[in-house]
Amino acid sequence: MKLGEARWLWTLLIVAAAVPAARGLWLDLPSTGSKCISEELHNNAVVLADYYAFIGEDYDVNATQTPTITVKVTSPYGNEIHHSEKVAHGQFAFTATEAGNYLACFSLDGDQGGKKVTVGIDWKTGIAAKDWETVARKEKIEGLELELKKLEEAVETIHNNLYHLVNREAEMREVSESTNARVAWYSLMALTICIVTSILQVLYLRRYFRKKKLI
Amino acid sequence: MRLPVAAVALMVILGSFGGAFGIRFVIDREECFSHKVEYGNTVHFSFVVIKSEGSWHYSEDGVDLVVKGPNDEQVHDIRDKTSDKHEFVAYHQGIYRFCFTNKSPYHETIDFDVHAGHFLYHDEHAKDEHFKPLFEHIGKLEEALYNIQFEQHWLEAQTDRQAIVNERMSRGAIHKALFESAALVLASGLQVYILRRLFERKLGASRV
Repeated sequence: MKLGEARWLWTLLIVAAAVPAARGLWLDLPSTGSKCISEELHNNAVVLADYYAFIGEDYDVNATQTPTITVKVTSPYGNEIHHSEKVAHGQFAFTATEAGNYLACFSLDGDQGGKKVTVGIDWKTGIAAKDWETVARKEKIEGLELELKKLEEAVETIHNNLYHLVNREAEMREVSESTNARVAWYSLMALTICIVTSILQVLYLRRYFRKKKLI
Repeated sequence: MRLPVAAVALMVILGSFGGAFGIRFVIDREECFSHKVEYGNTVHFSFVVIKSEGSWHYSEDGVDLVVKGPNDEQVHDIRDKTSDKHEFVAYHQGIYRFCFTNKSPYHETIDFDVHAGHFLYHDEHAKDEHFKPLFEHIGKLEEALYNIQFEQHWLEAQTDRQAIVNERMSRGAIHKALFESAALVLASGLQVYILRRLFERKLGASRV
């Protein structure tokens, strides 16, 4: 079978793709202070991140001069998930136990000679963070079947995202309806207070003028 | 060995590892990001301003985005938008820079997403009749699914923005009503006080 013969090819390609290329988004690090990026994560989301710091415009694997940075990753409730200092590259992985905003902050260690330092972050969540080699080995599928399984998972993720969006929309609709009701009630209340205050005013002034024998 | 198949397979498999990078960051004045793009990739990017720090802001809270290519040529220039989505084809290989500029005095939280489709077609390599259509279709399917995920991320970010606007509006309505009532009561109290003083003075002057 043709697909079976190409098994070495598929493994080779999967391995080749796993070798880190200069992927990810690159941030310019200021010489003082830190740069933070965040992402909103659902509960039980898996995150795999790879970061590397370099000097200059492009990432050179064989660079002799590597800057050192400090990395801090915190959960929405302030718990520290990952903290490393004086590293030029590294990785961190975690499963989100709390739903919310996760923050990753990068800062330079001291003065690196005034050169421009760039940090590359390869941040993978969901299906991209899944260990496909283990899945392939465990379920004894390979090649085309593995690719189709990945697509199936991607479709599942899209479906879940849509469901999540529908829920958010329902929540927002409720807030809008309550705002509408509130605006009506509070305007009525303000109008009533206005009328009551003016009536009290008139009554008080009448009593006052009668007392002073002006009316 | 089936080298043409290998070449096509290589294209397809490497296509599956093109990623999307959705991140959120707080912008002060200016913030720049770079991304390495291969020749021929279609780059999709989107951004949404999630919130602005100033609570009573009445000015437009849009940002500017300038996309520059590796040879410093301008690819896109977007001015004063709160949310936008675009794509372009990378005709030069290299580092593309996305620079945001914030014109308002407040800090703004921006959700930025970049997705580079790594899919390349090399027709002259694949000659195998059986594999080429299949791989091509799977590659296209993968690309389409990634695009859907990219659009969903943008939609989610816009929904977040709307949720924040809604909550602010709701709180604003209550504050406005309470403030208004307090102001009315104070105004009528002030009126009564002024009238009393006026008449007391007049009465005091005439009865002397």
